[in-house]
Amino acid sequence: MEYLTHLAVLVGIYSILALSLNLVLGYAGIISVTHAAFFGLGAYTSAILTTVYDLNFFLAALCGVLVAAIISLFVGTVLSKFRGDFVALGSVGFNVIVWSVFLNVQELTRGPLGIPGIGRPNLEFGIWNYEFSSNVSFLVLSVIFVALVYFLCQFIEKSSFGRALKAIREDEEALQVFGYRTLHYKLAVFVIGAGLASIAGALFASYITFIDPSTFTINESIFLLSVVILGGLASNRGALIGALALVLLPEFLRFVGFPSDIAAQMRQVVYGVMLIVLMLYRPQGLVGEYKL
Amino acid sequence: MDIVPQLIANSLIAGSIYAILTLGFNLTYSTAKFIDIGFGVETAIGGYSVFYLCKTLGLPLYFGIFLGLFCSGLVSFLAYRFIYKPLRARKASGTVLLIASLGVLTALQALVAILFTSQFQTLSGLIQANRVFELLGGTFTAVQLSIFCTVLILSVLLAFLLKGTLFGKAITAISDDEEVAKIVGINTERVMGEVFFISGMIGGLAGILIGFDTGIEPIMGLSWLLAAVVAAIVGGIGNLYGGLVGAYLLAFAENFGIWKISGEWKMAIAFGLLIIFLVWRPRGLFPR
Repeated sequence: MEYLTHLAVLVGIYSILALSLNLVLGYAGIISVTHAAFFGLGAYTSAILTTVYDLNFFLAALCGVLVAAIISLFVGTVLSKFRGDFVALGSVGFNVIVWSVFLNVQELTRGPLGIPGIGRPNLEFGIWNYEFSSNVSFLVLSVIFVALVYFLCQFIEKSSFGRALKAIREDEEALQVFGYRTLHYKLAVFVIGAGLASIAGALFASYITFIDPSTFTINESIFLLSVVILGGLASNRGALIGALALVLLPEFLRFVGFPSDIAAQMRQVVYGVMLIVLMLYRPQGLVGEYKL
Repeated sequence: MDIVPQLIANSLIAGSIYAILTLGFNLTYSTAKFIDIGFGVETAIGGYSVFYLCKTLGLPLYFGIFLGLFCSGLVSFLAYRFIYKPLRARKASGTVLLIASLGVLTALQALVAILFTSQFQTLSGLIQANRVFELLGGTFTAVQLSIFCTVLILSVLLAFLLKGTLFGKAITAISDDEEVAKIVGINTERVMGEVFFISGMIGGLAGILIGFDTGIEPIMGLSWLLAAVVAAIVGGIGNLYGGLVGAYLLAFAENFGIWKISGEWKMAIAFGLLIIFLVWRPRGLFPR
């Protein structure tokens, strides 16, 4: 039971990541391979603020959102200058740079040692104090976050902002002719996506209670990319399905009976083959509506 | 002791490996016009083929290298034949091809890891003494010298292939305009398959040389490929000889960069360079 709760929490955290990347990739059509960087920024900001400065988790997570938003505004501005597939390469570059910062600015991040002993979130109103220390209570908290993010994404999809984004994805020049500032729309959704990813980061740090740079590499960004592409671009439901399928896949492989080191590699084989097969036969993913 | 000559030697060695990879990458980019991330895995395939054939089976070294090159070329050709070709036939966008090639890299490097474990291996035991030379205060080994010579030989060979043969003219024609090349009777599919085979061999060659110099591991592909892509963009993507300049420029920037700051920043320096170029000079130093 404890094991299932653990998996459910992970699915929840990755659902938030997938939903937020889907905003950027699915609705705005920006091929961003830097999402793990914002995931990491959220995790590190909230971990440092809660361990060193004893700040409340929710405030720390909010600060993480601010940090991710400011940095993503800068990153998005630079990325908007690139054309076509070079956006993907440039975003890989940002992921590497942010990861190098996690690894090398040891005064702040403790480098490869990572940050241990991150506390679980707690709510305080006067004398009433509740800590989400058990995994079940943390699951409830993450389900609430997933629901909030999901409804926000649904709201964005239905709003005029979301419709404009989809139109930009289909034909950016046409929208410019109609007088839309397409750059502002794309930047806005990029910043929103990064902010939501940083919330997932804060949850992740506080759930695992330990973070180190190895979680936030390009490989993680590529993994998130495959989650969204599998589930389906421009579909919030798809993002949830993708997160569920790909987080549970390694567990499934373990049950089939592969030894753990082979299972880890089998997982990579499955991701790789899955990307190839999807591109060949179903570029819109399982339930997506937009083809790359 | 002054460190500058050694830094120059290190930059030349690293730059030579980048140069070999950039040549291979640019060759497919200029014909097929997409960023082939799967190219990176050919380094691991070449390196591990030689590792298996010579170290485990005990075949003679030259035979092993020959077969290793063939294997990496074949893998690259098969990836083209069964994945990129059908995608290109239905006019898939560059992004789709990029993601498919990312899948090729992920799947194949994990397969290599399953077959040979993910441990770091070195090929240096296969040659007797690796002599150390000294020149103007910088030291380098015989293997590193041969890496440098390989770049020279490979560039001359490719120049001859592209300028001097009918096959090379077909490649140039396709990279200028694929449709027109088809109209004048060039079998573009076949030429492109051969281009992928050659570029796979070049990637395998780089992997084998890396194996002799430092060592190989299954996941080496992505970082080497990214270096090659940065070098290609700096030099002007698709321009073979611009890529050579880009490769050495990148190596000098990395090695002189980590002179003052920790070596862990090396990748960040490379991508800093990439972003600077993409922002201010997106077509590179020598645009085609």
